[in-house]
Amino acid sequence: MFIINDIIALLAANLILTQALGTSTMFIAASGRKNLIRTACVITLFTTVASAFTYFVDTLMPSSVRVYATLICYTLIIGVLYAFFLTVLYFFGKEKFNAYKKYIHISAFNCAVMGTLFTISEKAAADDSLRNTVTYFLKGLEAGAGFIVASLFLAAAFKKLNSEKVPASFRGYPAMLIYLGIISMAVYALK
Amino acid sequence: MNNRKNSVFDGILGDNLILSSLMVISPIIICGDSVKNALSLIYAFNSMTFISLIIGSFVPKKIPYTIRIIIYAVISSLVYIPVRWFAVEFYPDSIHRIGIYYPLLAVNSLIVLQSEAKFYRMKKGRMIISLVFYIIGFDLVMLFTGAVREFFAYGTILSKVADINTTVSGLGMPFGGFIFLGLMCGVYRKIRSSVRSGQTESEE
Repeated sequence: MFIINDIIALLAANLILTQALGTSTMFIAASGRKNLIRTACVITLFTTVASAFTYFVDTLMPSSVRVYATLICYTLIIGVLYAFFLTVLYFFGKEKFNAYKKYIHISAFNCAVMGTLFTISEKAAADDSLRNTVTYFLKGLEAGAGFIVASLFLAAAFKKLNSEKVPASFRGYPAMLIYLGIISMAVYALK
Repeated sequence: MNNRKNSVFDGILGDNLILSSLMVISPIIICGDSVKNALSLIYAFNSMTFISLIIGSFVPKKIPYTIRIIIYAVISSLVYIPVRWFAVEFYPDSIHRIGIYYPLLAVNSLIVLQSEAKFYRMKKGRMIISLVFYIIGFDLVMLFTGAVREFFAYGTILSKVADINTTVSGLGMPFGGFIFLGLMCGVYRKIRSSVRSGQTESEE
């Protein structure tokens, strides 16, 4: 029962299905199942690590400049992580670097990662008990896990949504959007 | 084989940002449920995208790709500051409703990832014209989505009660946004393929 509750909670907090964050990125990555899952995993890495760092920005930044300066600080955090992850990948060998760098390029700057950071920051501003590094880290991980779940949903139906049985005008992206809408409706009912 | 030449007007019909490439769709799905929100998002998107892309076009191509991407993101984050400041003056109500989607517009994939492929290979003059049409394409879809969703979901037009008996409240929800955009995307594709086949026939 606890597991079911956890799954429902994870779905209800899903950033793609409830806030449409990262939908564009998911469609960019949706050229294949492998691409989709790998991109989702790299995005999870970004949301988790970046969230932990944003705690320091949220804590140290004076409230008078928060509205205007938060974005630039978050952008710099993601920028540093982007360069760092590419550097680490480079040391794993040239073949792996060439094969996997595109996932890092797609995953760094997008609504999924940036939206997660802002969502966590908003929640922490509303509830002081959430204001600690571990919670930020876990919330980032949770958002990434939600992204992976949504990617799995899309990957499961990917072939059928792109099949010839779907009318040509609706094949691919339009069918995927409607499909995500129906899943989102189901998740809304779970709330 | 597709022999179509790219045109500076592609941003409106041939390669619409939202309906063709599905870029910047999160704000439309969540916040594009009224004309007021749509106007606020249009203002933010137009100003941030136009200014950021123009400034970004001066970034030297000799700089490594990763650094260039970071620079583009930093430029748009800086452009966000005055844009937000003016938005507080002109659209104070919508700012709260749009919430986190406002800063997210600054790091949209058109500015950060697609700018090089779509614009920076062109000459400056052509780039600016093409960019303007891409922006107009976004604005038209945004405004249409906002108007239709507001009318059918809340029974209002620009917050004034309209004469409508039945409303579909789900259209104002995120899932309504997904489904409506999906349907619009399908209709857009149908129109685009009809226009293109008509053009091919007339050329023959």
